[in-house]
Amino acid sequence: MDELASLIPAAAPSAEAQLVAAAQAGDRGAYGRLYDRFAPMVHGLLLARVPRGDVDDLVQDVFLQAMRRLSSLRSAEAFGGWIATIARNRARDHWRRGEDTVELPEDVTGALHPEGEAWAVLALIRRLPEAYRETLVLRLVEGMTGPEIAERTGLTPGSVRVNLHRGFQMLREALGRSQKP
Amino acid sequence: MSGGDYLWDGKGEPDAEVRELEERLRPLRRLPLRPAWPADAGRKGPRRWAGLAAAAVLAIALGVTVLRSPGARVGWGLRWLEGDSWSDSRVVREETLGAGEWIDTRAARARLSVGRMGDEIGEVQLEPKTRVGLVDPGEKAHRLSLSRGVMHATIWAPPGDFVVDTPSAVAVDMGCRYTLEVDEQGAGLLRVEAGWVGFEHRGLQSLVPAGAICATRTGIGPGTPSFETASRAFAQALETIDFGPPGEARQQALERVLTEARARDGLSLWHLLGRLEGEDRGRVFDRLKALVPPPDGVTRDGILRGERAMRDLWWDALGLQSSEHWRVWTGSWSDPAPRDKRYTAPAR
Repeated sequence: MDELASLIPAAAPSAEAQLVAAAQAGDRGAYGRLYDRFAPMVHGLLLARVPRGDVDDLVQDVFLQAMRRLSSLRSAEAFGGWIATIARNRARDHWRRGEDTVELPEDVTGALHPEGEAWAVLALIRRLPEAYRETLVLRLVEGMTGPEIAERTGLTPGSVRVNLHRGFQMLREALGRSQKP
Repeated sequence: MSGGDYLWDGKGEPDAEVRELEERLRPLRRLPLRPAWPADAGRKGPRRWAGLAAAAVLAIALGVTVLRSPGARVGWGLRWLEGDSWSDSRVVREETLGAGEWIDTRAARARLSVGRMGDEIGEVQLEPKTRVGLVDPGEKAHRLSLSRGVMHATIWAPPGDFVVDTPSAVAVDMGCRYTLEVDEQGAGLLRVEAGWVGFEHRGLQSLVPAGAICATRTGIGPGTPSFETASRAFAQALETIDFGPPGEARQQALERVLTEARARDGLSLWHLLGRLEGEDRGRVFDRLKALVPPPDGVTRDGILRGERAMRDLWWDALGLQSSEHWRVWTGSWSDPAPRDKRYTAPAR
């Protein structure tokens, strides 16, 4: 068995793992590229959980926290799931601490303010169960596909697919749309 | 459940409901600029434990200083992009466009946050070969100057808070998404996708709603706005009226406009009421009256005399939006940035 294993070439580290290794060695440019790759996911996870006026600050906070802890990450391949966990914890911590927040009203008229209409839909998504709202925000707001969501967050593709479909059905109902056959 | 495959992986036949929600939520897809990464934080190595506390303090201190310090350089976040299209691009460099500074995108694309970090009111996408300057980062208004090229603006601030100077007119955002082009001669074209934009030059105003376009020329100002669904003959005739020399050709163009106009083109005819004089204005009155009957209190004599209150009443009958909405925001249009501060800075 050991002999067989020795014949199988070791898998080459992914581009993501190479970036993580470089960042752990102090390469800030590499960490910047990790930011570009994972910031949409972190943004989406926070957008699903915290007041909108705080999202941008918390995205930056999550990446600064992650940078400080980067040396403790054992598996470079696990960076996505790891930083997703930091983001979810940071959101919980945000509520627990009762940090100063200003939740802007949701009744901005969508006709004149495209973003106001978007916030109105997001408000409905945020009333859904956590697992559904997270995957819906990543798919519909951040534009990630289901396989990308699974890869970046560390969730299984099956879970993401179920969450997407059930969540979307609940969102349709929240929007007052009739059942489709 | 509909749109199964498309919802899952974005492939296959797009599901109309999923697409609709993607479009409605797209304005939220924006990211804060990268923080300034503190040096050495997170580095693996022999000194990592000894230096961890210090690095953490440094990380927090530097992050807060860069992002929050009131003494930080005043400007808007600028991201330079690499790629053949907006959908297939990646950030290759980030910097700050300071007040009074100009950039020329040359062969690249760029995204410019509108407003200081943490206080953004929108985003501007700059196409290649575009030259813009930051006139006011937000002291009085958020104000850019576009001297050449193409910019796409998405603004979610209240009306009147984002202004773009061009060589031939000033564009005032009234809550919207639009594209503004300026050619080498300073002529411009405004195309509004959502909301409204006001276009102004020395008191000549055009109000451009979603789905409409408006051209502008140096020394003349904004032309008459028209919906993109108007006939080609209508649009060409309007251009002759707005920017052509006086004479027979202009009279023929007015005839063509009146013949081709639909009820929806009341937008254009209404603007012409304020731009033409004498019998020409009377002919426009008669045609607009046939397409959109004027409300009580609006008379031919009053319109010929140029009574603005009557024109506003008629506007309200066009079914676009109450004139009160934009009259509020057009009061201070005639106060653009001082001329000696515009178009003077060299490209970086």
